[in-house]
Amino acid sequence: MRKLWKQVIGLIGLVLLLAACTDNAGSEKDGKHLTFVYNFATNSLDPNVDSSYVPLRAGLTETLVQLNEETLTIEPWLAESWEGRNEGREWTITLREGVNFQNGEPMNAEAVKASLERSLKDNVAIQNALKIDSIEATDDMTLQVTNTQAFPEFISELVNPNVSIIDVEAGDFVNNPIGTGPFKLESFTPGSKLELVRNEDYWDEKAKLDSVTFSFNEDANARSLALESGDADVVFRPEVESIESLEAKDGIKVESTETFRVHQMTMNMQREALQDVNVRKAVDALIDRDKIADSVLLGYAQPAKGPFPESLPFAPSYSEHETGSDLAKEYLEKAGYSLEDGKMQKDGEPLTLTMLTYSARADLPLIAQIFQSDAKKIGIDVELRQIEIPEEYMAANRDWDLATYSNLTAPRGDAGYYLNATYHPDGALNFSGADEPELTKIIDELNVTVDADKRAELAEAAANYVDEHQINSFVIYPDTLVAYDETKVKNWVTTRSEYYMITNKLDVK
Amino acid sequence: MFRIIGKRLVEVVLFVLFVTFCSFLFLRLAPGDPALTILNVDELNVSQEQVEVLREDMGFNDPLIVQYGKWLLDFIRLDFGNSYITNQPVSEMLMTGLPATLELTIGSLIVMLIVAIPLGSLSALYKGSWIDHVSRYFSIIGAAVPSFWLGLIFIDMFAVRLNWFPTMGRDSLLSLVLPAVTLGLAIAGVYVRLLRSSLLDSLGQEFVRAARARGIAEKRIFFSHAFRYSLPPVITVFGVSLGSLIGGVVVVEVLFAYPGVGKLVVDSIRQRDYPLIQGYIVLMAAIVFVVNTLVDLSYRYVNPELRLKKGS
Repeated sequence: MRKLWKQVIGLIGLVLLLAACTDNAGSEKDGKHLTFVYNFATNSLDPNVDSSYVPLRAGLTETLVQLNEETLTIEPWLAESWEGRNEGREWTITLREGVNFQNGEPMNAEAVKASLERSLKDNVAIQNALKIDSIEATDDMTLQVTNTQAFPEFISELVNPNVSIIDVEAGDFVNNPIGTGPFKLESFTPGSKLELVRNEDYWDEKAKLDSVTFSFNEDANARSLALESGDADVVFRPEVESIESLEAKDGIKVESTETFRVHQMTMNMQREALQDVNVRKAVDALIDRDKIADSVLLGYAQPAKGPFPESLPFAPSYSEHETGSDLAKEYLEKAGYSLEDGKMQKDGEPLTLTMLTYSARADLPLIAQIFQSDAKKIGIDVELRQIEIPEEYMAANRDWDLATYSNLTAPRGDAGYYLNATYHPDGALNFSGADEPELTKIIDELNVTVDADKRAELAEAAANYVDEHQINSFVIYPDTLVAYDETKVKNWVTTRSEYYMITNKLDVK
Repeated sequence: MFRIIGKRLVEVVLFVLFVTFCSFLFLRLAPGDPALTILNVDELNVSQEQVEVLREDMGFNDPLIVQYGKWLLDFIRLDFGNSYITNQPVSEMLMTGLPATLELTIGSLIVMLIVAIPLGSLSALYKGSWIDHVSRYFSIIGAAVPSFWLGLIFIDMFAVRLNWFPTMGRDSLLSLVLPAVTLGLAIAGVYVRLLRSSLLDSLGQEFVRAARARGIAEKRIFFSHAFRYSLPPVITVFGVSLGSLIGGVVVVEVLFAYPGVGKLVVDSIRQRDYPLIQGYIVLMAAIVFVVNTLVDLSYRYVNPELRLKKGS
């Protein structure tokens, strides 16, 4: 036994000794270095497959076109220009000259073709999204793409990080994809972090930073603490509750940026009560958007007026919605309800609503509770039901009236995705069961319209239709929060698309 | 000993069948649809028809027993399948994460031993004294405090304020300290109390009294007789509580961004990545099985009484 004690003590000594010898978490790096902590971990860096989009976010890979964060329009990146014909069925894409992959191989039409074909082959979601029939390299820098159908928003779909252009000859996509970005991969620890170094042969202005650590931590509290301890310079989505204490610290800046996301209230139009537009309008009037933005998201959100944030080029000028319980009562009266014995009733039947919510997005159950208590004040009972996977539950069950849901409405700067998915009768996210011929016609027309202005007009028309008929209600646009060390970090931009994070402009003081 | 191992092998086959079938069943019955994740419906426009086509292609529409049968056939060929999300072989992904998890488990067991052996022994030797009270409070707090909370306190104290350790990641042995201490302390409480009561029991045994009567030094009685005699119940409980240790590892891995299999499975549950979840369950079942076998075998060495009984 005494021997065992000695061994244990010896082992502890050894551990401490080893620990003392090792460099403290590699925080001291030569040159300009920055550590970024992201809120999702990934185990694969395969840019064409993995939905964490880390390779693009980390500046390893690039796509043919990118979203301009100021004008929110599509602009050239690895492609220099493009031209669509035949309602977007055929496209000619001209590539940028003088771009090399990080291993020195040239990025030419053959290489891009191979990369696109690989993402189509390995990723069924991309296959659906791009609708490509064939790709041909007509000369060194030109591609001819033929789509399976008229597809005007094809170019905007190329913004998708899963369509990153990589050298497919290079092999190990999971651990070491070879892209064209401003940073090269030095090492990758799955689930933990990437070490990146500057790509000295970058085609555009070289990166200002010498190296970057891009690490992951799913715990919001731990991310905030990493920033406080100096282990991290920039953290993505710190915990909302910790913002105040972070801001109180010297030199820490919290940035909040509107995204393309909307928290909405989905209405099940197949339920009897909700078939009456006045009832839907009453529901809308009961949503206290300011209270929700202030109390649930502590002000890091904007009250929503429609599906698309107003800054998007195709967002309509929404009509001002009046809200309040008096207005809600008026609408309900129009629908034939009256307040009796403290309950809203019609033909002796009290109005009770079943509302779905889910905890994967922590804000949503709180929004549901606020709605429930406001509805109770005018005699409507709202029964809350917690579900797990909203997409599946809502598609399979129709025994609910309202549901809190959160959706990206224009992830690639185009309205086509959201309108098709949510309001087209075939859409996979059409949980309200919308089948409105007039609206469907607008969406169908949008799907074959190439001209950007005309597309914006149609998108506006669709959003207005949704608004007038109150197919769904829109609650708030939540902000993306980023906190960083202001005394050190320079040129950090919180992008609305959340695609571009580590860039060649990013710098330290 | 070989007979024990042989019997165990038969048991393991039945055990694996049982565990994998149950987990398969529960996973498929639980809500969630990998088809929606694979198609990335959150960002890409798909029609209900496309969702249906994928479900059919992936075999989600087959009867459960057919799906399980297919999985089992692959499993017998040692093929755990590929992750739905990353397309990588599941076995490869698990093997990448396993060293970190083992490191964390061993680290926390060492912490547990360092805390539990002295504290448990002292509180048995000085029953009713202040150290006994301290150990009782320690155990109650250890059992009541969730490990993620304890971990956050440690990060705040030792990483943010004192800056001794990194807040997250797995870069050097230093990054192992906080997660191992968090988890080690969380499990130590149980063993302190267990060792104490087991020691008290053995100190009251006749052979201890006999040893005392023969004038053997207290110290020697304690270490060579009583302590050894008190170990089997502690080891048994260890085998049983291994499952909760694995659960604790998962929580701590997520908190400290420690890249082990626990963190991997949390991601895969969120994404309904069935092959990976199933692979993780098989791996954990195998580990629990191996440890329990070792626990069984170790009785014979720790407690000579058992060896004698079997022999006679």
